[in-house]
Amino acid sequence: MLGFSQRSLANLLFWVTQKKWFLISLLVGTALFLLPTPNGLTLEGYRIIIIVITALMMIITEPIPLPAIAIYILVMEVFLGIGSPEEISHSFMNDAVFFIMGSLMLAVAIVQQGWDKRIALGIIRLTGNKTNNIVFGFTAISAILSSFIGEHTVAALMLPIAMTLIKYTSKDSEKVTGLSAVLLFAIAYGALIGSIGTPSGGGRNVIMMAYLKDHGLSISYLGWMMKVYPLVLILIPIVSWILQKSIVPEYLRLDTGVRKLVVQVSKLPELTGRNTIAVFIFFLVFLGWVFLSESLGLGTIALSGVLLYLIAGFVKWEDLSRNTHWGVIILFGATISLGANIKNTGAALWLANQVINVFGSIMDIFPFATDTIIVIMTTILANVLSSSATVAVLGPITLNLGSDALHLGMVTAIASAFGFFTAVAAPACTIVYSSGLVNAKDFLKAGWKVGVVSIIIVILYANTFWSIFF
Amino acid sequence: MLNTFIYWLTQKRWLVFAIIVGILMYNISAPAGLSIEGYRTLIIVVMAIILIIFEPIPLPAVAMMILIMQVLLGIDTPNGVAKSFMSDAVFFIMGSLMLAVAIISQGLDSRLALGIIKLTGNKTWKIVIGFIAISAFLSSFIGEHTVTAMMMPVGLTLIKNSGVDNRSTAKLAGLILFSIAYGSAMGSIGTPSGGGRNVIMLGYMKEFGVVNISYLQWMKYAYPILLLEIPLAALILWYTFKPSQLILDSAVRKLKIHVTKRGSVSGNEILTILIFVFVFLGWVFFSSKVGLGIIALIGVFLYMSFGLIRWEDLNRNTNWGVIILFGAAVSLGLHMKDTGAAFWVADTAINWMKMISDDVSIIRWFVAVVLTGLLTNLLSNAATVAVIGPIVLNMGGDTLVMGFSTAIASAFAYLTVVASPTCMIIHSSGLVDKSDYLRAGWKMFIMSVFVLFFISNFW
Amino acid sequence: MKFLIAVGSKEFSEPTLRVGLQVAKAFKAAVTIVYAGPKISEFSTSQVRFTQERMEEWEFDRPGVEVLEWAFNFLAENDYITPTSIEAGFPKNTLVQTGGNRCEVYLQGTICKDVNLILRNGDIIAELRDEVRRGGYDVTIIGGSQKRRMAHDLIQYINSSIFVVNKYDQHQDYNLLLPVDDSTHTPKAVQYGARVAQAFDVKVNLITVSKTDSFGEGYTKASQLASKMMRRAGIAHEHRFETGDPVDVIKKTAGDNHIVVMGASTKNPLFKFFTGSKPLKVMEDCLCPILIVK
Repeated sequence: MLGFSQRSLANLLFWVTQKKWFLISLLVGTALFLLPTPNGLTLEGYRIIIIVITALMMIITEPIPLPAIAIYILVMEVFLGIGSPEEISHSFMNDAVFFIMGSLMLAVAIVQQGWDKRIALGIIRLTGNKTNNIVFGFTAISAILSSFIGEHTVAALMLPIAMTLIKYTSKDSEKVTGLSAVLLFAIAYGALIGSIGTPSGGGRNVIMMAYLKDHGLSISYLGWMMKVYPLVLILIPIVSWILQKSIVPEYLRLDTGVRKLVVQVSKLPELTGRNTIAVFIFFLVFLGWVFLSESLGLGTIALSGVLLYLIAGFVKWEDLSRNTHWGVIILFGATISLGANIKNTGAALWLANQVINVFGSIMDIFPFATDTIIVIMTTILANVLSSSATVAVLGPITLNLGSDALHLGMVTAIASAFGFFTAVAAPACTIVYSSGLVNAKDFLKAGWKVGVVSIIIVILYANTFWSIFF
Repeated sequence: MLNTFIYWLTQKRWLVFAIIVGILMYNISAPAGLSIEGYRTLIIVVMAIILIIFEPIPLPAVAMMILIMQVLLGIDTPNGVAKSFMSDAVFFIMGSLMLAVAIISQGLDSRLALGIIKLTGNKTWKIVIGFIAISAFLSSFIGEHTVTAMMMPVGLTLIKNSGVDNRSTAKLAGLILFSIAYGSAMGSIGTPSGGGRNVIMLGYMKEFGVVNISYLQWMKYAYPILLLEIPLAALILWYTFKPSQLILDSAVRKLKIHVTKRGSVSGNEILTILIFVFVFLGWVFFSSKVGLGIIALIGVFLYMSFGLIRWEDLNRNTNWGVIILFGAAVSLGLHMKDTGAAFWVADTAINWMKMISDDVSIIRWFVAVVLTGLLTNLLSNAATVAVIGPIVLNMGGDTLVMGFSTAIASAFAYLTVVASPTCMIIHSSGLVDKSDYLRAGWKMFIMSVFVLFFISNFW
Repeated sequence: MKFLIAVGSKEFSEPTLRVGLQVAKAFKAAVTIVYAGPKISEFSTSQVRFTQERMEEWEFDRPGVEVLEWAFNFLAENDYITPTSIEAGFPKNTLVQTGGNRCEVYLQGTICKDVNLILRNGDIIAELRDEVRRGGYDVTIIGGSQKRRMAHDLIQYINSSIFVVNKYDQHQDYNLLLPVDDSTHTPKAVQYGARVAQAFDVKVNLITVSKTDSFGEGYTKASQLASKMMRRAGIAHEHRFETGDPVDVIKKTAGDNHIVVMGASTKNPLFKFFTGSKPLKVMEDCLCPILIVK
């Protein structure tokens, strides 16, 4: 019965071709496992590096779903003897995971409140109907909002606004490719640069804070804002200027689009008590982050916000459960566990030393070489992996690259937001891409200038502003 | 606006009540012999129990409240709470819920149906015994809700085809559906992987430094209870719902027709079973080293990488809220132990028992078992074990017997609809009444307590 | 206009459906029929939902679909609606999940533009409230209930007019009883009353009750207006003025052979919550259908 019939053979072949990267990763893993451990690295350290390599291969090629990769990481950590099941499960969870869970749920709750129309009205009031002004407005609002509520929420809120403007400007999407590109990229890139502004801008910032704490360097919510927010404010006009220069929109004024948008939005009912309370709850959460996050933790506060929304009945658990991306949470936990074990097994230090060995001579000669290496490495990884996985894995390594761990860590966290180049680099990019109005290759076309300029500015900023004021 | 607020208040009156209770308790000073953290943990326990029983807010919201309160009341740091939230037991619950989704969606239920009918023939009493035995046997390995979900369509096909309308088959419906639900509830004690609560109890036993029980040892202790309960349960159910149809000829025939339409066994089905057997072997031989949870996750990983289940389906059909709640309950249980609250409650309880009689060993056992049994009918079984476990393990006596009995008693969820997912699933068919649970359940409850007593003291 | 009819079971929902559709026709309203099943404990939601998906594969309908199907067929047989069966319709009864515990039900092979079918699970008041908010219904029609609490909650929390079909016997002759006073809801109540009277082709008894012997200016004005509207609509009516406690008088006059139509109370909701209101008291004690207009 189990003899291979033609059909089952065909099925097997199909499976193999579908999952070839999965098999290749496993083969690479086995090969590495059989090789001897390099000098200066513990056995556990070497094994964790094997897990990192195979997991990275799988994340990039995605032969199996991302949550399955997360499970793979956890399982391998136990099987290769890096920790007992209890230790691994504890390392899976920390306040940062609660934060990501809470903020994903907050995002669902916020998107449901229908604030997008009010935001639209606000933007238009401020910018008028010149395309250039609107692009700037979109970048600025996306950046400012995303520094508080996470880039994917902002992208989801802003996308319909931009789509409305585009649709009403011209029915034929062929005629407004330039306009679509400039507006959508303004949203995506605005959201990305904004997400570095505060710790709550993204899960990766929270991970980095946790790593810094492990190094005995604690940075508060306000401290983070003071260090990074000026950079956001610098980047906003620059990014919007680059976008305006590199993509030429078909229309310089969006008269009809703006008018139609205003008409549509003004149909909204009056602000009800419900809306006010919803905003108020979010405001409370923000205040909590600013003033209480030291003692209560960012995650606990985010969860409190979700709890309040649930109690007030603004959002149903069914909706939260369905629309929250649980796979992301699991992956997040798994990468955090991986990061913690990279550090604990000494693999981080060893890898950092390797980097220093290779680039050591350059680092000594050029002043910003370390920063440059970190920023470029992080940016590249952030464009192929997810930004939080990048920080979770790279963080422990970069913190060991020099003496000023705080500086190095912050630079890593900031650079991990530069997922400008690919459509899958960051949730904000994917959301914008999902509208179907921009092509995948547009990202590289528009993104490389923004990326290069951002990298240069970050390096300059970190070595001037921080060294002068902090 | 005002009306909305009144509506909100009436809907959430138990939330308001729980908060008031919490504030009152907070303002009363801690009883002697209990640390301030321990007392605060108890406040959270009381509030959580009120909220879970009356469900004024969604259960995951209760879980979040537990986590937040632990931080707010200074019982632990944010990271400490987060770490205590996750353990191998929670991985296991997550893994087994996902495994259930993966297994159920393969459509193995029709194969199961054929197997049962082949074994039992068409006499109603034989079918009932078959249903109970198969449900119990299967659910001791793969979790009760999985089994109930697979057996339900089989049972319903039999019921719908053996009478003209609901009234004529009411008794039969009760009989068959309850044999599925109670069968799977009884079976879930058989092995550690039968339910998340068993894993939680194993985790506590390890934490308390009680002997480490292996998978096979657990089976050796628990399976006799199971085997004894099966015929007794069949008798009880038979005499509670005496059906008018003693032979289910046409219904069985129709079931066979329905099943044979499915065609021969497909490769996917074989693969599904193979992977599950693999997971089971992993549980038996490796669980003491790599943990039950990790092995369950391996199963999920294999199902996903062989493309037998898509992540979207898992994401949609896994009960994430329950996972969060159980994580929070485990975290609460651990903190009850760490703050000494569990010890204080156990000690106080023992002192009360001493008032009744000097020899507390039997009373202690009965209190633990009956209390667990009752709570499990109001809360859920895993939450019950998570909260009661640390207390029971602190009561003294043979901790192995006590802990074990608690884990088993938490399966006695016979009395209410909300007691366990199995009870809820059969209720959702619309064929059994809420009162039926009490009617059949109390006999089952007493029977189970005595069987447990008998076995745990003389085995 | 949009009407919502809540059905519970085959035995008790027949009069509700009959009266509901008759009234709906008079208003030319689109009708939605909703069935609220028992609440599913949250510990088990996913498992139950998943089991139900399995059951669909075995071609079992969810509990409630049966009732909705019966209601649909009942309406079709009694010529309240005209369903069309189409070949491109669903091959079996199909449920479309539209958020949380709400499903839209599409019956096998038929369509009907006049009626939507909704299946919900949960506390009946909470589900109706949510459904009304979601659909913006004008009137909610529901069968009578033995529980007093239920009447209270219906009036207090459902944000639409409410028609409680209490003890309706289709073979009995009914008159319409329309209490008229100076409250703000009265004109709308009169309007609705006229429509209903036309639909059932019955006589209208207007009644104005005062606690004292003298009838204030507001009362006389309101009653004149009501009479005028009835006259214009060409409905047989008579007008009576009575003294006494309004609730008692209305109850006594209504007996068991009237359909009562009255405006909702305009009292402060908090006050209403604790002391109740006129319509509530009438509803609790009357043995006849009652429409409360909001």
